[in-house]
Amino acid sequence: MTDIRIFAARRVVTMNPSNPSATHVAVRDGRVLGAGTLDEVRGWGPSELDDTFRDHVLVPGMIDVHSHVFEGLSGSFPYHGRFGRHAADGRFMPGVATLDELLADLRRVDAEMTAAADDPHAPPEPLVSLGFDPVHLPGVRLDRHHLDTVSTTRPIFVFHASMHVATVNSAMLARHGIDRHTVATGVVRDADGEPTGELHELPAIALVASALAPIMRAASADSTILDFGRLALRAGLTSVGELGGQLLQRPAAVDTWSRLVNDPSFPVRVTIHNLGVPPGGDGDHDAAAAALVALRDRHSTDKLRFPGVKFVIDGSIQGWTAMMNWPGYYTGTDHGQLLTVPEQFVDWVRPYHRASIPVHVHCNGTATIDLWLDTVEQLVREDPWLDHRHTIQHSQLTTEAQLRRAKNLGMCVNIFANHLWYWGDVHYEQTVGPERANRLEPCGTAERLGVPYSLHSDASVTPLGPLHLMWCAVNRLTPSGRVLGEHEKITPYQALWAVTQGSAYQLHLDHLMGSIECGKYADFTVLDDDPLGVDPMALRDIGVWGTVLGGVARPVDRTDG
Amino acid sequence: MSSAPIPVTVIGGYLGAGKTTLVNRLLAGATGERIAVLVNDFGSVSIDASLIASSDGDTIRLANGCVCCSLAGGFVEAMTRVAEFDPRPDRLVVEASGVADPAAVAQYAHLPGFGLDAVVVLADAETVRRRADDALVGAHVRRQLAGADLVVLNKADLVDPATLERVCDWARTQADGVPIVAAVEAVVPLALLLGTAPRSATREAPRAEAHVDHATVTITGRTAVMRRALDDALAALPDGVVRVKGFVELTDPDGTRVLVQRVGARMRIVPFDRDPDSPPVQLVVIGLSGPAVAAAGRTLADALGATLAEPGIERHHQEHP
Ligand SMILES: [Zn+2]
Repeated sequence: MTDIRIFAARRVVTMNPSNPSATHVAVRDGRVLGAGTLDEVRGWGPSELDDTFRDHVLVPGMIDVHSHVFEGLSGSFPYHGRFGRHAADGRFMPGVATLDELLADLRRVDAEMTAAADDPHAPPEPLVSLGFDPVHLPGVRLDRHHLDTVSTTRPIFVFHASMHVATVNSAMLARHGIDRHTVATGVVRDADGEPTGELHELPAIALVASALAPIMRAASADSTILDFGRLALRAGLTSVGELGGQLLQRPAAVDTWSRLVNDPSFPVRVTIHNLGVPPGGDGDHDAAAAALVALRDRHSTDKLRFPGVKFVIDGSIQGWTAMMNWPGYYTGTDHGQLLTVPEQFVDWVRPYHRASIPVHVHCNGTATIDLWLDTVEQLVREDPWLDHRHTIQHSQLTTEAQLRRAKNLGMCVNIFANHLWYWGDVHYEQTVGPERANRLEPCGTAERLGVPYSLHSDASVTPLGPLHLMWCAVNRLTPSGRVLGEHEKITPYQALWAVTQGSAYQLHLDHLMGSIECGKYADFTVLDDDPLGVDPMALRDIGVWGTVLGGVARPVDRTDG
Repeated sequence: MSSAPIPVTVIGGYLGAGKTTLVNRLLAGATGERIAVLVNDFGSVSIDASLIASSDGDTIRLANGCVCCSLAGGFVEAMTRVAEFDPRPDRLVVEASGVADPAAVAQYAHLPGFGLDAVVVLADAETVRRRADDALVGAHVRRQLAGADLVVLNKADLVDPATLERVCDWARTQADGVPIVAAVEAVVPLALLLGTAPRSATREAPRAEAHVDHATVTITGRTAVMRRALDDALAALPDGVVRVKGFVELTDPDGTRVLVQRVGARMRIVPFDRDPDSPPVQLVVIGLSGPAVAAAGRTLADALGATLAEPGIERHHQEHP
């Protein structure tokens, strides 16, 4: 028995510019000894040749910095999004394309729940559905009457994909005493003053506490973190990020994450960027920064890391809540919402910068991107730090001038490429109009200017899937068949770089991840085909065999076919 | 529900408008009522240590019965906690963040166990117009004012009277039909702010308070009224009335007793169980000046077939000497 294993593959795409392609990789102690020909890597000593991947292509382990553990919930509730997706157990959830399909599937779930109920006389458990997106059903306004055709006794809660709206049936309204006398304005009414079943924003949605409770319970369950890991593996990721952790508020969760992720069976590395919300709400960001440093120093492992802090300072483009500079939105009403007082923001962020904690800021609109750029400029004047890699998250509408500033300030951008497919038509026709929609997710400009960039899914907003991100950034196609911004397209090589080296750089982990190269982790994504060789339109259809994580093969469970 | 909903007052306004000063004053100055306050920035709450009964991570309990809680875990969590307090708070004051839309925050006041009292928006008389024109925050400042039931133009001492007048006129264009109170150091009589007056005589030293006057009159009626008449009468009240509160028995359906709350243009009429021996109409009108409140009280009394509580003796009550 020897401790060197050589993986043979149809091709090894290393993303190491000085040694771009190989056929073999030698691995010891979970790390890469070298990539090259068999003869080149054999010299490390006695080895075992593993040709499991002789028909497959190895690329560096793919990394999504910005997703959320909430993704792990997606298999726990019926899914009714427009686009099909997989649950963690491999089950394909086809989604719904019409109102009738939605109602039919709800009937199916209702019947299943009835059959499975322990006590047929107990009040029925609420049926909670996730993922429904009315943007894709123009002309349809789901209301309680539709849902009443599914059940008049079981409370039903259809949570829209935006998570700002829910539609419930009459049984749910009755269970919580919501009627024409309910005052909350988020309770939408019909012409007669009766609730339609549509509930807008959390204050109104929280009125149906019995529907939120199972979601909250599931969100903090071990199974959600485990499923998050399984979905990441299925997508071909070797590192996945929770970019919005709440470990400062819930210190007990540190042990949960550590126990689950550090277990050898957990199939992916995890990075957690916690929200910069001081625990206890005392506004003490110095203490919060110190707590994050302590977390990083005491609890980081090869599997689980805490590389930075996250702030959210505006809303979303498709919700018309992103903060846009002049002239604002193309159609509709500007509901731009700041989530920080601009004059205070630098004071919030400064303690993290001083503690050498990279800061990631959710900025969707051009105005908040300016605010974040101004803030970084002030931070680096006050406390020079040349290699901070502070990051603009989402960075969907960043202009060329803003990207130039980001470059000069040493910042990274993490681009939400999936929007091109999921909301591209909406952005073109409604939110920002043709010109700005054509530079949405400006990968091409970032590439031209040399701004370090990566791509992200923001799962569960869109599903985990780096090949889909690459497909979007390369083809920029929308469901209506429109190419959104020919000049912002990047090549498959550049897209692969973004989801490997680009992400690793953003995490300050590019010495350990991002390429198949001597000294780095033996983290590979094992693909059925070569992403640099296939028709670019086929990128998202490349099969994922699984991964190699720290030298250990992790096949995706393919029992579903 | 056995107990009445806890009235919720939301305090909004941009950074520097005086929200924190107001909250600190409420906590330290409350006597009689148990006020629970939810704040964004726990660190800015400054309470004399001698007044603090106990303090743990995100809750401070005061000797006077008030409680201050952090909003770090979100509104739903904080309000769920408040609803479980024993003893139950008499009212809840929520401090909205500087960029939040307080009218949107106020929607949380409809969670079970609570009821919205009013949205009070503070504005810095010196800077509010400039902020309202700012490209980044202007829409937020204007949205805050537009959602107010009562506007407090704070820091009135920092501008000359003519400017204050102009800012007042401008604020009226932003917050349509809403009473506007000028204040210094966020001193606003509790009767205006919360519709309540301290039960005990203990009060802070008058200081700058003297120039915020207010007056109240009470109306009592011996016959139940039609809902329509009540709605119309409340809607027709003249400017200068900040609040109307009390109880009314309706004829439609017969014998329904309702709690009435009007703050600015916001009207809240909800069914409410109370002592059947109390008079069918019992309302308090609170406003900025004695004559205006007396006139409004008479109009309302006439419309409801009621009388001013102590005919001939208009209770022109000057809160601050
Ligand atoms: Zn996110």
